[in-house]
Amino acid sequence: MWCIRNKTTLLLIALGMIVASAAIILRFGIPFGIDFTGGALTEVVYETAPTQEAVETVLNPLGLGAYSLRETATDEGETGFIVRTRDLSEDERVIVNEALTALGEESSVERFTSIGPVIGQELASKAVWAITGVSLIIILYVAFAFAGVSYPVGSWVYGGITIVALLHDVIIPAALMTLLGVFIGVEADVLFIMALLAVLGYSVNDTIVVFDRVRENLKANREEKTIKVVATDGLEREETEYTLTKPFGEIVGMSVEQTITRSINTSVTTILALVALYVFGGEITQTFTLILIAGVIAGTYSSICFANPLLVWYAERQAKKQP
Amino acid sequence: MPEDTGRTAKEDSFIRKFYALAAILALVAIGWFVWSNVTAENANRPFKLGLDLAGGAHLIYEADTSDVDPEEVPELMGVLRSVIERRVNVFGVSEPVVQVERSSFAAEEARDRLVVELPGVTDVSEAVAEIGRTPLLEFRLIDDTVLAAQDQLATMEASMNEANSASGSVSIQNATLDGEPVSEEEPYIDTGLTGRYLQSAALEFAAGQGGQLSNEPIVSIVFNNEGGDLFEQITSDNVGEQLAIFLDGELISAPTINQQISGGRAIISGGFTPDEARDLAQNLNFGALPVPIELVSTQTIGASLGAELLEHGVMAGVVGITFIMTFMILWYRALGVVAVVSLSGYVVIMLALFQLIPVTLTAAGLAGFVLSLGMAVDANVLVFERIKEEWRSGKNWNEATRTGFARAWSAIRDGNITSLLSAIILFWFGTSIVKGFALVFGLGVIVSMLSAVVVTRTLALTLPDVPAESTSKWRWLYGSGIKK
Repeated sequence: MWCIRNKTTLLLIALGMIVASAAIILRFGIPFGIDFTGGALTEVVYETAPTQEAVETVLNPLGLGAYSLRETATDEGETGFIVRTRDLSEDERVIVNEALTALGEESSVERFTSIGPVIGQELASKAVWAITGVSLIIILYVAFAFAGVSYPVGSWVYGGITIVALLHDVIIPAALMTLLGVFIGVEADVLFIMALLAVLGYSVNDTIVVFDRVRENLKANREEKTIKVVATDGLEREETEYTLTKPFGEIVGMSVEQTITRSINTSVTTILALVALYVFGGEITQTFTLILIAGVIAGTYSSICFANPLLVWYAERQAKKQP
Repeated sequence: MPEDTGRTAKEDSFIRKFYALAAILALVAIGWFVWSNVTAENANRPFKLGLDLAGGAHLIYEADTSDVDPEEVPELMGVLRSVIERRVNVFGVSEPVVQVERSSFAAEEARDRLVVELPGVTDVSEAVAEIGRTPLLEFRLIDDTVLAAQDQLATMEASMNEANSASGSVSIQNATLDGEPVSEEEPYIDTGLTGRYLQSAALEFAAGQGGQLSNEPIVSIVFNNEGGDLFEQITSDNVGEQLAIFLDGELISAPTINQQISGGRAIISGGFTPDEARDLAQNLNFGALPVPIELVSTQTIGASLGAELLEHGVMAGVVGITFIMTFMILWYRALGVVAVVSLSGYVVIMLALFQLIPVTLTAAGLAGFVLSLGMAVDANVLVFERIKEEWRSGKNWNEATRTGFARAWSAIRDGNITSLLSAIILFWFGTSIVKGFALVFGLGVIVSMLSAVVVTRTLALTLPDVPAESTSKWRWLYGSGIKK
């Protein structure tokens, strides 16, 4: 199987992606939006929108501190602005609303969100807890589900590799989010965390399907030998020793080959759904969709070209250590 | 594996076809149920749209519970919730939601919050003003001794003024009573009984017993247990005195205590008109917030923006599902048709669950659902690949299908269990928006697994049972991919 033969190259590519993504995130930082930092967002639409300068002229004297303005357009041809400020009290909200709606006819505030900094921080810490919790549960479950095949690598290794693959699949969309923030000023909202968590679920599923096949093929291609061991205290106990009839790398390669059509087809259907969501789903979920597409592609790559080569690489390294 | 059921192959095939037909009919029935709930005007169970799709306001208040015994907090929050609920109901909004939320242990310190959702309200100024109103309800005793002293002083002043009308007015200052200066303010004593202890107040009409006028409007009040005890204590100690009721420091009524009152119920009568009595009952109900609250987050979405989001979400779902079905038929041919039926089953069951539970649909939930469409076929794809493998290895179609399902099961199970565990954790940790997504995700995992195991399996087994080395027609129909 090509992905096992070229495992060094594939592992280096994945490693390179992880390092590059981490570098991007560390250099620029994920552009967390008001959901996490606290702040306010006011979206106002007009029949005919005023100029940006006019909006700035009314907002500047209000003492809102630094704020950002973005022009928007709805389906009905109305245009408007999204104003991002620090979090606003009820009185400030009324003042800002009045200032903005006075600028044009048929104007209305379509969306207003103000989030106190405490709520934002709490969401951020919840997100960290959720991601950690999900990862822990996965590693435990996978170790448990693979308990029957602890030769030639321990069952917890499957869980560990699943998590490393997860890291790969989550850090790449996170880096994409950072780049989107740097280049087009998109901010990460609570949907971003949900996208990451959905990628977690997808990626685990993908990796497990291949590992499941490895588990099955390992059981089919091993010979059992029961030997009696006499312990130091004179008690006899039976131990089962396994020998593989094929090299481990070959078994893993065979498993990837048997599941690759399924991996690709499921990715295709998922991406078809996501493309429909991107094109037709409207502006609010567009970033969410892009992050998911990146995650699904990364997840498919990692389940074929990262998790399994890593498994074989680890097994071979172990074998060298203990001849 | 041919099962030894004692049935002939023909009977067996008939039973399988019967099951398949029953499954399809059941799906059609569920589909009809969903459709009728969408189209009928007064449907029992329409889709429940979240605020971001229906338009409305979402407010988060934080309660300052720092002065309250932690054990009492849940109860006080419950009281706060019902007070705010009553205030919110003034707006006549359909289905307002008022929920108590406690920040999870992930936060540094626990904070108690109140989430208020007002569908259809986009100008929140009035709502915020109404909810934030913090009138204070107090019960105070009128201090008879001080009142008597004040009366006496006033009489003295009056008589002195009368006597000395020629030489101008006289006023008495710095009078003392038992060594304490006589206050010139109104003589009330705090009883410690406040709106915190009030459960409810209602307008009633007296039945004309016990010296009351028949049909006189009165206000009946009910205290909670603690308040009832306190009230009993106060009334037993002060029979014959007046108990003044203050709202925001303003005297609204001062009924006389006729006897000790136990059971936490009291009646306020005082020659009210029905309107006055109703206002009083309302004031008492709306009376005091048990703990101070502060608005920490506001979110409003205009109805037209919400409608646009909904339209986009539905459109994306329809297009997405069409893409997936087309792909499945093109790639898997006969099995693709099976997958299409199974996927339709997934969609109608999910939609029916959304209506029945009901799941509040949000933009995030819709996106999650569209995403789940792509993943729902996963179990089908897994099984199909396995069936083809078995079929090519020389088994007949039925046997290949049975083995395929059996062998693919462990992968389906492990993958779905981990997804389900993630969904549960998400639900546990999540804020309301994350919870909605987690619920859709978790349901999607279970339903897609069921639809693959039940619908796909039943239908795949009704396909003609031919061996792998059959005519090219069957080889094509049961094959897959771009090539023949």
